[in-house]
Amino acid sequence: MAKQPTPVQKKPLFSKNQMYLYAMIAIPLALMFIPTVIMLAFILLPACVAMLVERSKGWYCGACVGAMSLAGASPSLTDLWFNNHTIQGAFQTMGNLWTILLIYGCAAIGWAIYVTTPSIVSTFMAMTAGRRIEVLKAQQKELVVKWGPDVESVYEPEDKGDGHAQASAPTSVPAPG
Amino acid sequence: MAEQAVETVLEEAEPEDIVTPEPSPEGEPEATSDGDAKPSSAAEKKPPPKVAPQAPSGGNSIVVRDRYSIYYDRPISKLDMPNAQAFEVEDRKQPGRALYALVCKPEMVSRISVMRVLKGNEIPNMLHLVDWGAAEWPPANRKCVIIIYYRPLGGRVMDSLSAVSERIPDHQFPKLIIKPIAEALTELGLKGITHRAIRPDNLYWVDDSKQKIVLGDCCTSVAAGDQPTVVETIESGMANPNARGSGMYADDMYSLGVTLLMLAVGRNPLAGRSDEDVLDKKMNEGSYAALVGDERLPVSLIECLRGLMTDDAEQRWTTQNIELWLNGKRLTPVQARAEPHSQRGFKFAEREFWSCRPLALHMHRHWDEAAKIIHDGSLEIWIRRGLEANDLADAVSAAIKTTLAMPGDQKETDDVLVSRVLMLMDPAAPVKYRNFCTNLDGFGSALAVAMLQKKSLQPYIDFINKDLWRHWVAAQAAFNTDNSQWDGVFKDLKNYLKDTNSGAGIERCVYELIEWLYCMSPLIASQYVMEVKGVLPALDTVSKTVNSKMWPVDRHVAAFLRARYAKGTGTQIDAMNDPKPDRATIGMLSVLAIVQWRLGPDSVFGLAGWVGGLMGPVINSYHNRQKRKEIEKEIPKLVRKGNLPELYNFLDNPEERQRDAEGFAWAKAEYASAEKQIYEFQHGQIDRDEDAQRTGRQAGAVVASVIMFLAYVIALFGELV
Repeated sequence: MAKQPTPVQKKPLFSKNQMYLYAMIAIPLALMFIPTVIMLAFILLPACVAMLVERSKGWYCGACVGAMSLAGASPSLTDLWFNNHTIQGAFQTMGNLWTILLIYGCAAIGWAIYVTTPSIVSTFMAMTAGRRIEVLKAQQKELVVKWGPDVESVYEPEDKGDGHAQASAPTSVPAPG
Repeated sequence: MAEQAVETVLEEAEPEDIVTPEPSPEGEPEATSDGDAKPSSAAEKKPPPKVAPQAPSGGNSIVVRDRYSIYYDRPISKLDMPNAQAFEVEDRKQPGRALYALVCKPEMVSRISVMRVLKGNEIPNMLHLVDWGAAEWPPANRKCVIIIYYRPLGGRVMDSLSAVSERIPDHQFPKLIIKPIAEALTELGLKGITHRAIRPDNLYWVDDSKQKIVLGDCCTSVAAGDQPTVVETIESGMANPNARGSGMYADDMYSLGVTLLMLAVGRNPLAGRSDEDVLDKKMNEGSYAALVGDERLPVSLIECLRGLMTDDAEQRWTTQNIELWLNGKRLTPVQARAEPHSQRGFKFAEREFWSCRPLALHMHRHWDEAAKIIHDGSLEIWIRRGLEANDLADAVSAAIKTTLAMPGDQKETDDVLVSRVLMLMDPAAPVKYRNFCTNLDGFGSALAVAMLQKKSLQPYIDFINKDLWRHWVAAQAAFNTDNSQWDGVFKDLKNYLKDTNSGAGIERCVYELIEWLYCMSPLIASQYVMEVKGVLPALDTVSKTVNSKMWPVDRHVAAFLRARYAKGTGTQIDAMNDPKPDRATIGMLSVLAIVQWRLGPDSVFGLAGWVGGLMGPVINSYHNRQKRKEIEKEIPKLVRKGNLPELYNFLDNPEERQRDAEGFAWAKAEYASAEKQIYEFQHGQIDRDEDAQRTGRQAGAVVASVIMFLAYVIALFGELV
């Protein structure tokens, strides 16, 4: 019978001891700044949703939406910190419609930034591709001069069946030396 | 007469000779080409001296072993052998010694193993072999085997087999002729040598007064190769001259009998007859009756001659019998064994036969017709009903069935069939295969001569591949351990033939069969290399004249090394047979390098230059162009050292090779990666590229973070101000 492969255990972000340490610092701080914590929980709600939705693509979506939400909440938060840092004050701020619109509107802009920047970057890279091709061809020419025409190969993308060509990545070989 | 002496070293299994021109102090140096090329014409102009106790000084000569001057413009045609020319020799240390040299023809295989035994072992009543070896021979412009003998001053006993000689008085015959030759043969027998060149024109008078007779040379050609059919036994006479083999002592005794008969009657009784006639006559009448015929023989000799010339080898007299006979003991007369005769004759090729052996002999001469009588069954019927030899008929029938069941071309099958049937009909005869007729022990020498004379080797290949040897051994009525040893030998040869690579094939077969055969490679044949350690110096010598595009290790050199030095060169020759040119080339270099490393010499400059020029594929096997240039630059330096192992180690450095291979793999991967990126750029796939997506997302996150930072700065600033 074939031996079952052992599942690879994911390494936890923090160790148990670190968790205790952070909890010992964070819990008293949170207790000291309860109004801010309540506000942040409210502000970062879209960021949590974004992280869940785009979980497979990493934390960039959450960061983008969260940062913009925080930016939208900056007038309310500074007001809370400097004028009425109480639980009541926090709930009053959260109850203000303009504040909610500003925070969630900024969150929507954050999402828009997350969605559009890759396309913008791709377009920019495509614009610079001509130059890049020249550089790559020069590199190839150098390789041929040094190692002869035997190094040459023709790239043939593998067809995955969905109409998209799947590039067959060359085996990574460490540079000699 | 202008003299030019060429100093050389007569080598015996020591091929490292250096030929140095040595102008003689007695004459002006002169170009030798005129005198060199025409020793025979010189002989015509100046008849050889009858007696030359001291060779006169002067003349074109070579000096061997710093002692013997061999004058190549002074041939002694009277002492020529069929495959060797005789020349005058002067012994520098003992000027009075009467010597002569026999220079063997390069297209004939000499009996080196016999020479090795005879040198230093004086056989009584046999021409004393003083020295031998291979030395540069200017008339042939190559090395030849030269044998130096004591010169028989009385000349030949009989000038040729067609000549008439003086009859020796009957009362002197036993003491003057029979006793000395019998003693010589006894001594040769003790050393395990058969002479195989006993004939009237190879007996010599040692002295002027013709009172002492000696046996002549037996080394200048293959065993029995020079023997006329008349002096050979019926079986040996059937074989091709070069394929008779060393034979047995009984074969020498038969030749002695015929020789004595001819000396007794003063001529060859069968002179003028063709070999076929001689064989027919001997077979039909028996050798004694055929040769004696109506001749009047001395009565005292009849018993001895009858004993020596009996056709049954088992009953033939030996030297012990002769000794007893000389001492006066009367021996039992030899009874001829009667050949089974048929009740009715069998007509074949316009002749009628009553017994098997003559028919088999005639069938060999009419090969295609023989196949017909085998196929139509008439031969088998005659054997069964006429000859009443049911066992033989059954054997013929079985041979027909098994041969025809074999796959292959009809003509080839017929040839094997006829050959097998002839073996059954006359088991004592040699193996016959169309025009090729050989004894098993003569196969090697025949093959070697065929190669040297560039004849077709197909019969030899067929002989091995079609198992003719095995059929012949199986056809022998009595078990003979000598025959069974051939089984292993020929099985090995068959395996060599199957292998088409260098170091195998028919070339390997010939070197395995003949112990001291020189390397017949066209490259170094002229250097007469008999030992492995002579190969490199020989290649070094010829390196200046050969086509440098040719490999120094050709099929002959590889086969020679494999046969003589299998343990040392086997792996290297295998590498040489690699299909990849670079591996094969480095394999070839490794063959030469290991020979130099183990057997020397220390430096072979010419050969190193030759081999260095062939290293193109090895250099090109390195991928790195810079490395190639480095190697090309380094090779001439190593070549100048003449050290092949060093050259090999430099070219086949495993670390360098690994580094090159790794570098090449890296370069290939880099190229492919670049190619992929170019493709993607060119085909607009960048928007789907994960890198671009990830970069975009990162950029978005950064932008949002910057906006957040600015918003807080502004908000804090507003609150504080």
